[in-house]
Amino acid sequence: MQVLFKVIRQKSPESAPHIQTYELDVEPGNTILDCLNRIKWEQDGSLAFRKNCRNTICGSCAMRINGRSALACKENVGDELSRLQRIAASTISEASDGKPAPPVMTIAPMGNMPVVKDLVVDMKSFWDNLQAVDPFVCTQARQIPEREFLQTPEERDRLNQMGNCILCGACYSECNAREVNPDFVGPHALAKAHRMVIDSRDSQTEERLARYGEGTQGVWGCTRCYYCNSVCPMDVVPMDQIGKIKEKILDRQDDQTNRSVRHRKVLIELVKNGGWIDERRFGVKVVGNSFRDLKGLMSLAPLGLRMIASGKFPLTFERSEGTEEVRSLIEAAQQLEAEQKS
Amino acid sequence: MTLKYAYFPGCVAQGACRELYLSTRALSQALGIELIELKKAACCGSGTFKEDSQFLEDTVNARNIALAESLNLPLLTHCSTCQGVIGRVDERLKKAEQNDPEYLDRVNGLLKQEGCSPYKGSTSVTHLLWALVGDVGLETLQAKVTRKLSGLKCAAFYGCYLLRAQEQLPYDDPYDPRSMENVFHAVGATPVFYRGRTQCCGWPLSSYATTQSFKMAGGNIQEAIAAGADCLVTPCPLCHLNLDSRQPEVERVMGEKLGLPVLHLPQLVALALGVSPKELGLDRHIVSTRPVLEKLGF
Repeated sequence: MQVLFKVIRQKSPESAPHIQTYELDVEPGNTILDCLNRIKWEQDGSLAFRKNCRNTICGSCAMRINGRSALACKENVGDELSRLQRIAASTISEASDGKPAPPVMTIAPMGNMPVVKDLVVDMKSFWDNLQAVDPFVCTQARQIPEREFLQTPEERDRLNQMGNCILCGACYSECNAREVNPDFVGPHALAKAHRMVIDSRDSQTEERLARYGEGTQGVWGCTRCYYCNSVCPMDVVPMDQIGKIKEKILDRQDDQTNRSVRHRKVLIELVKNGGWIDERRFGVKVVGNSFRDLKGLMSLAPLGLRMIASGKFPLTFERSEGTEEVRSLIEAAQQLEAEQKS
Repeated sequence: MTLKYAYFPGCVAQGACRELYLSTRALSQALGIELIELKKAACCGSGTFKEDSQFLEDTVNARNIALAESLNLPLLTHCSTCQGVIGRVDERLKKAEQNDPEYLDRVNGLLKQEGCSPYKGSTSVTHLLWALVGDVGLETLQAKVTRKLSGLKCAAFYGCYLLRAQEQLPYDDPYDPRSMENVFHAVGATPVFYRGRTQCCGWPLSSYATTQSFKMAGGNIQEAIAAGADCLVTPCPLCHLNLDSRQPEVERVMGEKLGLPVLHLPQLVALALGVSPKELGLDRHIVSTRPVLEKLGF
């Protein structure tokens, strides 16, 4: 079958991107990497992309395939065409000339990293950010045991999901938080960070949790856009790993630690009090720290005034009719969880 | 047959986006949909319960779903975040019935202990957008339009939780969805495509990392303007808060005037069904919706 490959190319980091289209006769079972190899070997040797194992192990060939980051060696032509056909079938469009056209695959470099050439990006920040979470088991503080640092199979199994990460960069490429926050270390690094936090051999758990919870370079920088969970080719679910680090931090810190922690604690308290969130109190308690943070409180004043002026400000709050039941349920659930953790 | 849902209003539509509550009511009435409001329901946690524990998120939302089950009705949300959270809990607990019955017993054990109905896994959780596309149907919707929104260029803003929180989406591709744009077609408006329509609005960071949050919102608004949009339309009130209520602060961070009106999905659709702008609370926005209404000849 004839397929067009629309590749977003770039000669150098400084040059502007342009589109180059190649036509190939392919089979549905061909991977995108097979196709790119054929383009390079048969049509245009100047096309640059990373590749190595061809088998979803090395993580070299991540790129944007039809609008999302994925491994070129994992995705194949047949599945991609089915996906594109599903999207086309669900699209109501005004005009169509009715002529059948060969299907088009759009291939672009990953995001959030500068392009070196064509589909090759500079992953320096990706590696530096991984390094920043100290991704090594630390046993310095322990006495050296007689034989080795033993770990039961069950303790080891808990690390498997994060251990499956092949550091391909797909999550980092799509991370919405990275786009606006150059200090955020990224989902790959924080998934690895969680692997270290729950490693029974590591001796730095508390220090790690304190560090990963500082500012917005760590877990509180995540905006929960779900892209990392969604594109990860290895089911590492980085956002969920970030959530588990947050859970451990929330177990240890109170609402005076910082505004990120307070945001979470206050939300649950307000649901206990009213079933729904009373947004007026949410602002005052989280940003204004219950009148302790006057600067924070003042920062809300323009928003409050705007909302009053437009009639948007909620003057009243109606509690859920199930509030008592919900409060009791939340308290019981939290108590059960605490018992299980201890 | 009359469509009937167990309506989960959520926090924001009862608070800072009361116009969403009004417009969902008005739209349902115009379409002959019956909504039974879940008066005993509770906040879904907007992803924050899960950061306390998965068990907390599952238990509170199993109770929410069970309230709909006791009415033998599907649970209807009109917020991307509520949908993503409750819809995902429903997926997880239905899966647990097969793969991890002990976990489901733990959830239901606590619900029973607290005097709540247990979760049965007997209903579904659906967003108003999906109800329009799937239950009402686009052709039926189109046939009910009394005031075509011709010439209005609408840019969808889906919200992350509607696209990527659940494992299975009934109609959309998580990276290239079409439901919103199809609704725009049905009501006679023109969809505008731009990258930001599937991205994050920045709301989860807005209480403690405002600059980052507003940069996110601002980048998406700028892209929609560059693509020629007259307005954004969102199925998520949390996105609406960051994109509309905070747009003046977003403008300061971006260093330019944006002034792009942001409509709730039911406001747009109900306008096309002949409901008045006043009834839909279109005068209750921070960014004036006047340019949109003028374009439509109001």
